[in-house]
Amino acid sequence: MPKRSDLEHRALSFIANHSEEGVLQSDLWRSLDASSREGSRIALKLENKGLIRRERELFEGRWTYRLFPMRRPASINSIIDCPCLSCPESIRCGAYGAISPNVCEKLTEWLAGLAQAGAGVQGDS
Amino acid sequence: MTFVEDETLAKVAEALGQEEAIQIIYILKESNEITDDQIANKTGIRLNSVRKILYRLYDHSLVSLRRSRDENTGWFIFHWKLQPDQLEGFITNQKRHVLQKLDARLSYEKNHDFYYCGTPGCRRVPFEDAMELIFRCSACNRPMMHYDNGKVVEVLSGKVDQLRKELGE
Repeated sequence: MPKRSDLEHRALSFIANHSEEGVLQSDLWRSLDASSREGSRIALKLENKGLIRRERELFEGRWTYRLFPMRRPASINSIIDCPCLSCPESIRCGAYGAISPNVCEKLTEWLAGLAQAGAGVQGDS
Repeated sequence: MTFVEDETLAKVAEALGQEEAIQIIYILKESNEITDDQIANKTGIRLNSVRKILYRLYDHSLVSLRRSRDENTGWFIFHWKLQPDQLEGFITNQKRHVLQKLDARLSYEKNHDFYYCGTPGCRRVPFEDAMELIFRCSACNRPMMHYDNGKVVEVLSGKVDQLRKELGE
């Protein structure tokens, strides 16, 4: 039988992966290969820890809970296309160095693309 | 406990080592602990590429490493394990790092007037440099005109504000 803390971790990860639409408690325990009793206990425990919230829902004639994470999952969307993220010159790059974000061509191109697309701000938040 | 979606995990892997890193991350995610040799066999990626990517992930603490010795050959065996709880910290650090660069660029854009010849591929230059060049492009020799960087400043300000908000600064 898996350890309780391990199950909690997996449960939280499963709920975090469905942050928008939430997860039915019954789907959670099925995905964890646990019993309904274990599933509801874990959900309750995560709620008490302030990690998720539960919303009561009538599903196929039975009352159950839909589970949502309290925090939005960490996201890298806002910087994923920025050239600074995976730049090999990153360590040597500085405002007054030979390689500088002020004159970096890759950064200029990226900014020009954003300005042209009129995208302004993309990503999370 | 962390909140990280699989999609984010894949994006981070891609940023650090393209397509091959994504495959490796997923193999690591599925197994508790695995050797580089086993990863190479499962994915079909060359062993030295697997090791290169694993060390890159290790540099950012996204994987942990345990070393044991093969009893028959006496060689070291490296056992790798994914550390998803470090991913949130990695993302925050990267956001801080990018914010620092964008902030520097924003001040530079705000504090300089730029001149540009309009030829694609040529660079715009700040006023001081344009003066020295007598307002002629050093690459194509065409006259340089004032370049309005308002849009660039607007985009940069938006990104900087967004990152500050995400970092809670």
